[in-house]
Amino acid sequence: MPAISQGAAAKTIKFVPQANLANFDPIWGTQYVVRNAAALVWDTLYGVNDKLEPQRQMVESEEVSSDGLTWTFKLRSGLKFHDGAPVLAKDCVASLKRWAARDPMGLMIIAQQNELSAVNDTTFKWSLKKPFAKMLFALGKNNSPCSFIMPERIALTDPFKQITEYIGSGPMKFVQKDWVPGAKAVFEKFADYKPREEKASWLSGGKNMLVDRIEWIIMPDPATAAAALQNGEVDWWELPLPDLVPVLKANSNILVDIGDPLGSIGSFRMNHLYPPFDKLKARQAILAAMNQEDYMRALVGDDKNLWKPLPGFFTPGTPLYTEAGGDILKMRSIEAGKKLLAESGYNNEPVTCVVAQDQLATKAFGDVTADLLKKLGMNVDFVATDWGTTGARRAQKTPPGQGGWNMFHTWHSGADCINPAPYTAIRANGDKAWFGWPNSPEVEGDIATWFEAKNLAEEKSAIDKLNKDAIDFVVYAPTGFFLSYTAWRKNISGIVKGPLPFFWNVSKSA
Amino acid sequence: MLAYVVRRILATVPVMAIVALFVFSLLYIAPGDPAAVIAGDQATPQDIERIRATLGLDRPFLVRFGEWVWNILHADFGTSIFTGLPVTQLIAQRIEPTFSLMIVTLIFAIVVAVPIGVLAAWKAGTVIDRAFMAFAVFGFSVPVFVVGYVLAYIFALQLEWLPVQGYTPISAGIWPWMKNLILPAAALGFIYIALIARITRTAMLEVLQQDYIKTARAKGLGEGRILFLHALKNAAVPIVTVIGIGVALLIGGAVVTESVFAIPGLGRLTIDAILRRDYPVIQGLVLLFSFVYVLINLMVDLAYIVLDPRIRY
Repeated sequence: MPAISQGAAAKTIKFVPQANLANFDPIWGTQYVVRNAAALVWDTLYGVNDKLEPQRQMVESEEVSSDGLTWTFKLRSGLKFHDGAPVLAKDCVASLKRWAARDPMGLMIIAQQNELSAVNDTTFKWSLKKPFAKMLFALGKNNSPCSFIMPERIALTDPFKQITEYIGSGPMKFVQKDWVPGAKAVFEKFADYKPREEKASWLSGGKNMLVDRIEWIIMPDPATAAAALQNGEVDWWELPLPDLVPVLKANSNILVDIGDPLGSIGSFRMNHLYPPFDKLKARQAILAAMNQEDYMRALVGDDKNLWKPLPGFFTPGTPLYTEAGGDILKMRSIEAGKKLLAESGYNNEPVTCVVAQDQLATKAFGDVTADLLKKLGMNVDFVATDWGTTGARRAQKTPPGQGGWNMFHTWHSGADCINPAPYTAIRANGDKAWFGWPNSPEVEGDIATWFEAKNLAEEKSAIDKLNKDAIDFVVYAPTGFFLSYTAWRKNISGIVKGPLPFFWNVSKSA
Repeated sequence: MLAYVVRRILATVPVMAIVALFVFSLLYIAPGDPAAVIAGDQATPQDIERIRATLGLDRPFLVRFGEWVWNILHADFGTSIFTGLPVTQLIAQRIEPTFSLMIVTLIFAIVVAVPIGVLAAWKAGTVIDRAFMAFAVFGFSVPVFVVGYVLAYIFALQLEWLPVQGYTPISAGIWPWMKNLILPAAALGFIYIALIARITRTAMLEVLQQDYIKTARAKGLGEGRILFLHALKNAAVPIVTVIGIGVALLIGGAVVTESVFAIPGLGRLTIDAILRRDYPVIQGLVLLFSFVYVLINLMVDLAYIVLDPRIRY
């Protein structure tokens, strides 16, 4: 290859993302692949570091009134959008309004807000009816949707409609003309981006781009992605299939390591509205009998680096992780499960177990659950389907025999399970809760207590109680905590473990 | 003949109308909800309902169908629910890779299969015939993706001659374009070669029994001239028919091949659209595929007239 071409190649990273970038509105479409791409194009007011602490990003300073009711934010000077326009306070106001309409924490802020308005071009304020202690975390969190800042004209789009212009103020520009959904997305370095001077840490600090161009190559087939990485046709594969990792590890040109330390929490949910799982003891029977190791091995195989048992609901390795009240998940006793099931009055009703076959995790979990239910002597109606159908069916509140369901399988990103704010799946507010519609005033009370906690000790205390109450009530059944590898060629350096692929400070040698 | 062509083209209209109604109805009753996919795993049921309303998915069947037909009559195939891009733009982005793959596969398959079939017929009952037909059975039996993986392993990973994946537009040059198509075309062409070779052999066997072939041999014509000029021309009708039918195979095979070799074509667009229930894209693609298929059948029928002047419509 000529020297000039080598230089050009060294300035382009070819990346295989976890999924197709089918849309590019990080507020309208909350899939993680959209957030990951959006983090290149749009910046945030705050960003969490690797300790999950919110740090200033677009903001130069903030001030909170002594009664905690008014937050005033001042923007850094010199921030520009990709179309050359300066970032103004009115852009932030419009962006935060759009984000808040779709984000659980945002909705909580809206519920207690007086006004969100621009004071001048660089300052805006958010006044509230009562203090909201988690304000900075809400603005800097990394789970989807993040509060990305867009130009006002774009941010005024209905949050339930897709934007059509992709202008941000982040370190890379989106090359819309080269976007082929399902195949390719291209990002180019934004020359006018003004990185912070602090050292980068996850979504915070100096986002220095060391390459000129990033190409996302969508590869639906894992074997093809593995071959392309081995052949040097791509540089970085975000989420290799566990089965293919030994092949990659054997290649001297490839490095493999855990990608996201926050991992994922496997789960299946039981429908609290209909027998048999409207009875607490029937739900507890499942927890007492299940063995998380079976679920995890079915998913990731024998690699012990990739999973941990999880006697609770919160992400291991994060400040609020707790095992309080988790003893039932350590029982792993079919006999205990049978006893509880009998006490629940189970009368051989069919259990409609919906299992998406086109997702690795749900397929593996579903097979293990079907076996578990049979061991417990339950009458299993195993519905093998695809993820799209599962998504529609789980929303049905009709009885299981009339298009509804008793169980379905899914998983939650560990980033969503670090505390109750983004954790929709742990809510137990009945009709407004996530699918399965658990209703437990105790659990909801614990969540409210956490929101009002003033320090880490109070937060931990609230979470201990929440974890115990949620397990006692069986809001859902956690199947374990699992991690995934990421793989890249040796000429790429600067990759850090994190909840999303961070491209800043990543370089490529020829 | 012109009247026949016009009649056939007009006959495609009701066919397409039936296809349109069938596809729309099927998607309407099929389970799945694009709003749930868009909303993501953390969305509340209320969010999903709101997205359904903004997408117009909560409206009655007849209203949606009527609007869709009206838009199609105005050459508007709608907008993808997920990407927000016009369906025509999405199809336009993907049409070149798929058509390139189909054309290269077709040429490759015909160039390989027809001589194999002719030779097998000529040497009927010999080891050569049996070897060719064993190859044909093998070609039928091995799935496209297996052939694809094996070819990629040998020619891309081990020998490093060709790329594993991707597509380069023809505007970037013939060799860069061809380089990305050799392995997928070979993989996809495997089953097609088997099909054409078997039909060619059968048709040729019948023709080679004809008196005029004996006469040609008695006149001292060379075997090559007899086989490829006299016999093959008269065996061409069933061969052309199977090539036409095989286009449907190619469309189906392209879906798998494009996934294995990461080619951004219509096949992958179809799979992605189905998995996400992107109704406008699915409808647009099925209409396109149906139209192409009807068109190819028409071309095959017209080819009969050229190949066999005795045929009249």
